Amino acid sequence: MYRMGETEAYATLEHELRRGVVVLATLSQLRTPRYGYELRQALAERGLPIEEGTLYPLLRRLEAQGLLQSEWRIEEGPPRRYYALNADGGTLLRKLTASWRGLNDAMARLLGED
Amino acid sequence: MTANDLIEAYVADVARRLPRAQRNDVAFELRALLGEELQARAEGAGRDADPALATALLRDFGRPAEVAARYRPALTIVDPADGRAFLRATVIGLAIIWSLGLLVRLRQPIGSATDFLVALGAWWTGTVIPSLWWPGLLVVGFGVAAWTRRQWPRKADWTPRAEDRVDANRAALALGLAGIVCGVLVLLDPRWFLDLLLGGRAAPAMQEAFAYTDAFRRRQAPWLVGLILLNVPLLITVLAHGRWTVPLRRAHTALSLATCAVLTWIVLDGPMYAAPATDRTAKGAIVVLIALSVGSIVRQWIRSVRPSPGGPMRAAP
Repeated sequence: MYRMGETEAYATLEHELRRGVVVLATLSQLRTPRYGYELRQALAERGLPIEEGTLYPLLRRLEAQGLLQSEWRIEEGPPRRYYALNADGGTLLRKLTASWRGLNDAMARLLGED
Repeated sequence: MTANDLIEAYVADVARRLPRAQRNDVAFELRALLGEELQARAEGAGRDADPALATALLRDFGRPAEVAARYRPALTIVDPADGRAFLRATVIGLAIIWSLGLLVRLRQPIGSATDFLVALGAWWTGTVIPSLWWPGLLVVGFGVAAWTRRQWPRKADWTPRAEDRVDANRAALALGLAGIVCGVLVLLDPRWFLDLLLGGRAAPAMQEAFAYTDAFRRRQAPWLVGLILLNVPLLITVLAHGRWTVPLRRAHTALSLATCAVLTWIVLDGPMYAAPATDRTAKGAIVVLIALSVGSIVRQWIRSVRPSPGGPMRAAP
């Protein structure tokens, strides 16, 4: 019973940790235009797989918040909607990156104390 | 259904939950993305994109309602922070409404099991179902509060609650003292107060209406006047200190409880006023006063916090 609770707690907290970085990870890969599936592959190849049911709606939400621009393109295969950072998105990415590095350094110091 | 049919049905189920303006565009994109996801899974599994694979993909993607919700900003009506307060207010309010409704129904003559069932049925249709106005009202109230906090966040900044403020409100205390003096004068001789108020032109009938019974003058009045007058040194002490200390708060609560006890004695004992109409009205007002005072004391007790460690304390090594 205790071990089950421990596993559930780990799953919940690990999910929370990952959720915190999804937006930053997504923005980081949209400095060049990408469509949804291609973006998911790029994130997975770099070690951060994100569920498709989370990533695709997120792109639309970020666009609605004025951080991304998008357009339909026909290249090889079916028409695809490509997303890329706009000026506001780029500014936000720089700010979030600085925050992330600060947090990362602090966590490295904290965890290195053991 | 083929794998494509399943994807089409799923996409339609998601898209029809979205605003009309973005529905078709999202559906077009989602269908293409799911098609590519399915193709990738099929290649990974070394088989054709069959319905079983499509079903597994769509289940992983999520319930259409959840997916559609992810496409839009989160909509919160009752703030999560207010969830427990909302639930508590709902349960307590419904319990009071249902209990009062049941009491009213059961006070009617019940001569048989059928009568009882009829009363229960009337309670269900006449009280329980209409009582849903209460949770509805709470949703509106909590929703408006949450919306207001989001619109004007600075107005939601924390400030001490009135009952938790320790600094004395001198103006309110002075008003309270003046009120006590007036209250005691009215209590001692309401007819004198009427004369004062109407410049001695109070009709004899009005004078009679406010005449106390001898029993009240002899039995409860001295206690009531004494308890009310005890508030005077208490409030003067608070004025002098400039703040409500814990002993002063306790003394105030004890005085309120004692006053409530005497007021209850007045209600339950014989007439207070000689005129029955005045007596009924006054006792009705006293009952309301007792209910408000006891409610306030109970609320304070429920909300009371006494910081203390939850377990034994160990000295530092």
